[in-house]
Amino acid sequence: MLIRRFFLIAGGTIGGLGTVLSITPPQFGATTGLALGTGGSLAGGTTATPLASPTPASTTKATSTPTKKPKKKPTGGTKATTPPPASTPTPVSTPKPAGVSGTFTGANGNTQFGPVQVQITVVNGKITNAIGLTYPTGSFRDQQINQQAIPYLIQETLAAQSANIQGVGGASYTSQGWVNSLQSALAKAGL
Amino acid sequence: MAERVHTTAEIDVWGTIVFIEVASTKVGLDQLNAGLAEVTDYVRLIDEEFSTYKPTSQVSQIRRGELKIENASAQMQEVWHLCEVARDLTDGSFDPWVVKGGYDPSGYVKGWAAEGCARILQRHGAENIQVNASGDLYLAGGYENGKPWSIGVRSPENKFEVLKVFEIYDGAIATSGTYELGAHIKDPHSGLIAIGARSASVLGPDGGLCDALATALIVAGKDGAVYFSKPELAEYKVWVINRNEETAWSIAQPSE
Repeated sequence: MLIRRFFLIAGGTIGGLGTVLSITPPQFGATTGLALGTGGSLAGGTTATPLASPTPASTTKATSTPTKKPKKKPTGGTKATTPPPASTPTPVSTPKPAGVSGTFTGANGNTQFGPVQVQITVVNGKITNAIGLTYPTGSFRDQQINQQAIPYLIQETLAAQSANIQGVGGASYTSQGWVNSLQSALAKAGL
Repeated sequence: MAERVHTTAEIDVWGTIVFIEVASTKVGLDQLNAGLAEVTDYVRLIDEEFSTYKPTSQVSQIRRGELKIENASAQMQEVWHLCEVARDLTDGSFDPWVVKGGYDPSGYVKGWAAEGCARILQRHGAENIQVNASGDLYLAGGYENGKPWSIGVRSPENKFEVLKVFEIYDGAIATSGTYELGAHIKDPHSGLIAIGARSASVLGPDGGLCDALATALIVAGKDGAVYFSKPELAEYKVWVINRNEETAWSIAQPSE
């Protein structure tokens, strides 16, 4: 029943989202390397930390720091015993296909203004377009918000996915209905 | 019992959206939906009583001096008392009585009510619960299969950036700071915009207290670290981004 890598983002009014959007133009390029980049470099919180020890946590610095992935350890151990690929005479795998391409439609998501359904177009694994197939159009404001909201939500979704989290603290105004539909479209695309 | 049922809901209330996710292996979807319906009534009632924007709310009546706390509703009196406790624990950095316009418990109520929602859902058989009141969360029962909820904390400068991830089975995480609402926290004593910290997250068993402590840390900054040496706050955990330096500090409890 649960989608793999299910995640959630704190909810909020779409009206608020519109306001945010007008001052924050979405930038697709910025999605990679977001999120966990800083999580690994910050001490404290989940691990035992001396009482009130100041920890450096530069936000700008942290994004450029390589992410520490604890999972890498066991993988590294197995790899060490694996013969190098050079000893294999014939290539086993076919050439890697280019990234997925196509149009993917998300499931319906519900917002308090009505149902939303997001469709994304993917070329070589990159989202090139996103439209709302179904979305609240009750007012001019709804339409205005919808034109801006989807690219913005893609960015937010990708950020949360790479962090593999189910919720976000700190004020947020993204409607979960949008995110649910978008998440479903991304899952279908295998992104 | 059999299958695990899972559902989500958004409630448009308090000028924002409360997002709820629940799952259960014990009860069916009908019971979970009944829980969500009760939660919806509950948050609407909280809004009716506690909103500072509604002239008819009890809080507004208290602010205008038309209602004495001893004549207010039971939960109004409860929050009043809990705010006194929070004020003492934060040495006055959280003080709903000295803000301009009169008594304003908003910095307590969101976290307190998020926990209230979780309790209602538990009574209806929900096992895994997330109540996200626009960035102030209450979690219960972990995410699924004995795994904790992974909750990210946003950067106050860039909402696409998750700076820190906490794993939580049960309890609250409240974050205050200069997020989308702008600089909305004032130093109760100077009346000026709080300058202690850029972002403060507090984790602990009590939702309302986490909310109040996060607010107090925005006012007090590093000076607020001292609160957490008090025995009442022995189970609480803190993560704060300093105001004028690119640094953060944290407090975790020795038991972890």
